[in-house]
Amino acid sequence: MGLELHDLSKHFTVRSDRGRATVRAVERVNLEIPEGQTVALVGESGCGKTTIAKLVLMLERPTAGAVTYDGKSLHEMSRTEIKDYRRHVQAVFQDPYASLNPRLTVRRIITEPILAHYRRDRATLNARVAELLDIVGLPASAADLYPHEFSGGQRQRIAIARALALDPKIIILDEPISALDVSIRAQVLNLLMDIQEKFGLTYLLIAHDLALVEHLSTRVAVIYLGSVVETGPSEQIFASPRHPYTQALLNAVPRPDPDYVPKAAESFDDTGSALEPPSGCKFHPRCPHAMAVCKTDNPPLAKLADGREAACHLLTGPHAVPNA
Amino acid sequence: MNAPLLRVENLQTHLHLRRGVVKAVDGISFEVHEGETLGIVGESGSGKTMTCLSILQLLPTHGGGKIDGSVELDGENLLDLSEDEMAERIRGPKVAMISQDPMTSLNPVYSVGDQVSGPFLYHKLVTTVRDAWAAAANGLRRVRIPSPERRLKNFPHQFSGGMRQRVVTAMAIACSPRLLIADEPTTALDVTIQVQIMALLRSIQKESRVGIILVTHDLSIVAGLCHRIAVMYAGRIIETGKVRDIYRNPQHPYTQALLEAIPHLGQKRTRLAAIPGQPPNLMDLPTGCRFAPRCPKRMSVCDEYPSATNVGDNHVVNCWLAAKH
Repeated sequence: MGLELHDLSKHFTVRSDRGRATVRAVERVNLEIPEGQTVALVGESGCGKTTIAKLVLMLERPTAGAVTYDGKSLHEMSRTEIKDYRRHVQAVFQDPYASLNPRLTVRRIITEPILAHYRRDRATLNARVAELLDIVGLPASAADLYPHEFSGGQRQRIAIARALALDPKIIILDEPISALDVSIRAQVLNLLMDIQEKFGLTYLLIAHDLALVEHLSTRVAVIYLGSVVETGPSEQIFASPRHPYTQALLNAVPRPDPDYVPKAAESFDDTGSALEPPSGCKFHPRCPHAMAVCKTDNPPLAKLADGREAACHLLTGPHAVPNA
Repeated sequence: MNAPLLRVENLQTHLHLRRGVVKAVDGISFEVHEGETLGIVGESGSGKTMTCLSILQLLPTHGGGKIDGSVELDGENLLDLSEDEMAERIRGPKVAMISQDPMTSLNPVYSVGDQVSGPFLYHKLVTTVRDAWAAAANGLRRVRIPSPERRLKNFPHQFSGGMRQRVVTAMAIACSPRLLIADEPTTALDVTIQVQIMALLRSIQKESRVGIILVTHDLSIVAGLCHRIAVMYAGRIIETGKVRDIYRNPQHPYTQALLEAIPHLGQKRTRLAAIPGQPPNLMDLPTGCRFAPRCPKRMSVCDEYPSATNVGDNHVVNCWLAAKH
């Protein structure tokens, strides 16, 4: 069962030049996050990936639709069920300089979630802190230091230890390595892979770095202006992207190869705005293959022959172009 | 070969702080030729941004910064010039910089037209504000911003990140500089916008033969754009060479490790070869090779700083391993 998103929407009301307006940050997203998998949400900044994470963490209430855990909607849960859910779902954020309280010792930081849920005596807590620090590769002596005494990579290890403190089942990783030094990133990535294997964790990964996503994820959901445009096993998506947006994203990724020149999209139209999304398919103003129908009808997310899902008139429906 | 556009010789930028001396840039030398792009690659704290600021002499004066060595542009040592000379003759007409974050490098309370027309007026390329705005409109057209005349009246917050970086680029190339320094120009941008900015820099260089220094922490970004690459570590250049030699045949263990430690597209769920440890403290540097404490191939001789070894075709490495062969 695990975590599922059903027709999940989140709209924000903002004041604009012409009075109030609605930002459709997340628009009818359906997604399964099966146990033991790493599901990645990818897309440009402002596409709604962090809002989805906030909805899953119950930091925002959905406008419509629901997040369900083991079949039960988060907003129908009782207080004790919510407490259980919060134990099962933890998060590691992008910036370990901002996500650790500078006034607490590492011991307090790591024991805080434990004490929020259980009564434990000091000896048990200290043993647990030592165990967690060992798992993330820090010495036991780190427990009595403050966050500023650590480098970025070490701080991210502390954040990971805190996320592991309650033996969670799911960890939300919001850009877990993008704030770290290049030579440190691999250490933290390897650690994330090791603990996933060791504890059978499920990851929901939010990242804009597609090489990282391919490296870590088993399933991918590509998001454009709040909606999923293509989703499936990551081997499939990376080997043969079908949606024109996924293709544009992958073509743009630079490679450490002097003979490879990434392809710039021909259109100089910038990312559309979630405030005034284009009619029909939201990607049509930037799409090199846009047809008349794309300006009027929004394509539904539909299953393709190979099992993945995509939302594009080229691929499914009466306007589909064979071998597109 | 012609004389280089820029020749930096033994540049040292030390910051004298109360707690000690930070050797941000510690004796680096490199050249940039006309129409050439040099990539300076390194992680944060390796001294790459300090190198750029030292060329332009934009270090904060109260920071206790001390620059030594020489920075020759067209044969003239910029370190000998006064602040007024730098401001009038060098910054803008000769050397311009595109900074990392287009969100903070534009002034939010002035229109884009006011800001892009600024360099034309300051450097007296035009005399009237009207002409300056016309020149600014042309500037925006050069960086391919649609309907430039109308966009000049907009304020920075009305532009997207990619468009803002185009505006900053338009300001930088306003006075047709000989050298353009781009410090992480695309780090804050999405990949799709990133390739557009890189393509823009390439076309500007084709038109104007400008020399470009492209500073980045990401080896993939510079691969397609640079002619030569200098890899920095803890304030020094440890390897430099033609782009192909650096990627196909990296000699320094740090360069090799950097290339292996980054996930690349087409590489699936394998453990990465992580580099153990952390970059050194710039106030307390190892006496020998600065990468030695993290180096898998460390030898006893590494306690002494390795001299530069040319392994062929101006591919120069500071490593005892290369010196031995």
